[in-house]
Amino acid sequence: MTEAPAAAACPACGATHDPADAFCEACGSPIGGAVDPPADPPTRSPADPADATADPTGPMPRPTGEAAACRACGGALEDGYCTECGVKAPSPRDHWSEEPAPWLAGVCDRGIAHPRNEDAMALAATADASRGVMVVCDGVTTAPDSDRAALAASRAACQVLAAAPAVEGSGEAAAIRHWDGVLRQAAQAANAEAVGAAHILGDPPEPPSCTFVAAVVTPGLVHVGWCGDSRAYWLPDEGEGEQLTVDHSLGTEMVRSGMSQADAEVDPRFHTITRWLGADSVDATPEIAARRLDTSGYVAVVSDGLWNYASSPAALRAAMDRAAEHVGSTASPATLAAHLVEFANAQGGHDNITAALARVSPH
Amino acid sequence: MADFTAEVFQNEYLAQGTTDAHAVVSISCAGAGTAGQGGTAAAEIVIVDTSGSMDMPVAKINAARRAASVAVEEILDGTWFAVLSGHSIAQMVYPPNPGMVRMSAGTRADALAAIGQLRSGGATAIGAWVAAATELFGQVPGSPQCHAILLTDGRIEGEAASVLPNALRKARGKFQCDCRGIGADWDVEELRGIADALLGSVDIVAEPADLEADFAEMMRTAMSRGVADARLRVWAPQGSDVLFVRQVAPSVEDLTPKATSISPLIREYPTGAWSDESRDYHIAVRVPVADPGQERLAARVEVVVNDQVLAKGLVRALWSTDVEKTTRIDPAVAHYTGQAQLAAAIRDGLAAKAAGDERTATVLLGQAAKLAHESGNENTTRLLTKVVDVVDADAGTVRLKRDVAKADEMALDTRSTKTTRIRREPQP
Repeated sequence: MTEAPAAAACPACGATHDPADAFCEACGSPIGGAVDPPADPPTRSPADPADATADPTGPMPRPTGEAAACRACGGALEDGYCTECGVKAPSPRDHWSEEPAPWLAGVCDRGIAHPRNEDAMALAATADASRGVMVVCDGVTTAPDSDRAALAASRAACQVLAAAPAVEGSGEAAAIRHWDGVLRQAAQAANAEAVGAAHILGDPPEPPSCTFVAAVVTPGLVHVGWCGDSRAYWLPDEGEGEQLTVDHSLGTEMVRSGMSQADAEVDPRFHTITRWLGADSVDATPEIAARRLDTSGYVAVVSDGLWNYASSPAALRAAMDRAAEHVGSTASPATLAAHLVEFANAQGGHDNITAALARVSPH
Repeated sequence: MADFTAEVFQNEYLAQGTTDAHAVVSISCAGAGTAGQGGTAAAEIVIVDTSGSMDMPVAKINAARRAASVAVEEILDGTWFAVLSGHSIAQMVYPPNPGMVRMSAGTRADALAAIGQLRSGGATAIGAWVAAATELFGQVPGSPQCHAILLTDGRIEGEAASVLPNALRKARGKFQCDCRGIGADWDVEELRGIADALLGSVDIVAEPADLEADFAEMMRTAMSRGVADARLRVWAPQGSDVLFVRQVAPSVEDLTPKATSISPLIREYPTGAWSDESRDYHIAVRVPVADPGQERLAARVEVVVNDQVLAKGLVRALWSTDVEKTTRIDPAVAHYTGQAQLAAAIRDGLAAKAAGDERTATVLLGQAAKLAHESGNENTTRLLTKVVDVVDADAGTVRLKRDVAKADEMALDTRSTKTTRIRREPQP
């Protein structure tokens, strides 16, 4: 459209849009007064993770080296499609990865069956592994624009957790108390963003909403807070893994009232969540837990698009180990997270998929 | 500069393993202005059959004189023009010497006087007329927007069979030509071939008295075409096959064989000159299959004028396992698929009837009656009922009429490509 004044390009993904649009139809990035996409790689500054999420509603990070080429055949892109094979270039909102430090990374993906990626993640990490932050929010599919709510919420929470001061005093009890408070603040900030998204949309009857799970990985301890059914796992290299979160869902209630896990998981009500963030949330208070990290392993933070295919810690660890076998034992968290997403897509990709991993090494 | 818009109607969802993407691209032009403005000159030639048969009855040559006169009156000042008398050769009526002149009050008066002197006599050498028009248009300086009206009352006579095809080869892309047959002694296929090659219309004027209004209307339309030449540029992905590009409204015209290859993935299709109007195109592309959840651009359709892209529509293919999504047929695609089938059924049905195969003709014209009825194409239904008795429109049962007027059959034949527009409902 050489002359057409009606079209402008999305600063995040390059798709053309009507200038009157507030958001890009292709990737969901905000357009009004939009800035150029960040020229820097998406890696957040290891020295100061607080800078990373300065703009919680800013455009999606654009993975370096993928800017203008087709992922299927390498052809040039136009209108968001390859000029050779026609394959749609995934919008940055549909698939992106973050690796704030070599020991902590994640991938967020649209999956196959859903037309939009309503999952969101925000990560931050220091290079010396003194603090790693992984936040995952899963937009509730029945509410429109939940993808925006999820993205804004995860970024806001990540910012709070990354910017929080270090623990004063010593001892596990002090650390747990400290992070308990910060995780509550983070959930509050995330909830405020989700509620704010509803206000921006003119308070629709079905406001956007999302789940919330955050993990703060520190030497020797992981602290988690959550609302809903996105999960955190501890997956040690030796010994049994552990699910650190307990889903706020009817599934959990069913198991609590005596139904077997296997029976509950095939019940259609299993995924109905009982706690979430957003304007129509009944209870946006996060549940908080902490666990000692006394051996090497991974802390995984994932959405149900992944754990649907590997619910138990053993199954999830097995899926990771198969990937590690495939790419070699020195696989980075970034590679492993990408493989977990591929694994879920290979199973059908019925939901959006997010996998974030932090490598924990013994002292 | 005119404003073009392109709107795509399709069901982008393809079932797993399927490959064919169909879309109707509706293209509208606004602010076209008039022919001959904006740096491009316009040129018009009126070709009037003056063969011997035009005197039988004499009402024909009289009507032709009046029609040529009103056409000349509609030509805007400044337009290059000429009037030709067609018989065994193409003879200059105005200007007297081979060439074209610009329209003014003076040249108009002289042309009208010359048209009044038209006399009939001789053969029908339509190929020679087309060749003469091509040569005249070639003498206008610059790259003018050229249009002709060709009137005949008979089929080619006294000319070798190869002359017309050769003439059309040279004329193609040089000018557009609207063809009219007066009476019922001309050949529909012959005129349709010329109109098709030269991006014009073809129609029957059974009654000489109707010719005047028709010529005035044709010339007014030609003068309102301020966009000299628009092309459809269609990109389709590697490994794909453009099954067809078909204009489906206001009439069915297959553009597929008219493609020019621009690059391995890009073809251009001529659409001629545009006024303020809208036309619909049905495009079908066979694309390489992809996995469920994957999306591929099946075609990028652009309106190109003077090498500038003025509008663009994207035809998408999105594979899905959701049967509810993939089994829906877009209403516009369904409607125009039916209209193209309707036109084909009439054409083939009449051909079978002419060949004496009444059984096939009855079946095909029955299908046509059903399709016309279902789609609310009342004009076609009316034309059909002059050729067949419709026993049951819903079932497509008809009986061939006895003693059909030849002109009625020819009217059905020439107008069978006219389509009804689909009623536009808001997209879901």
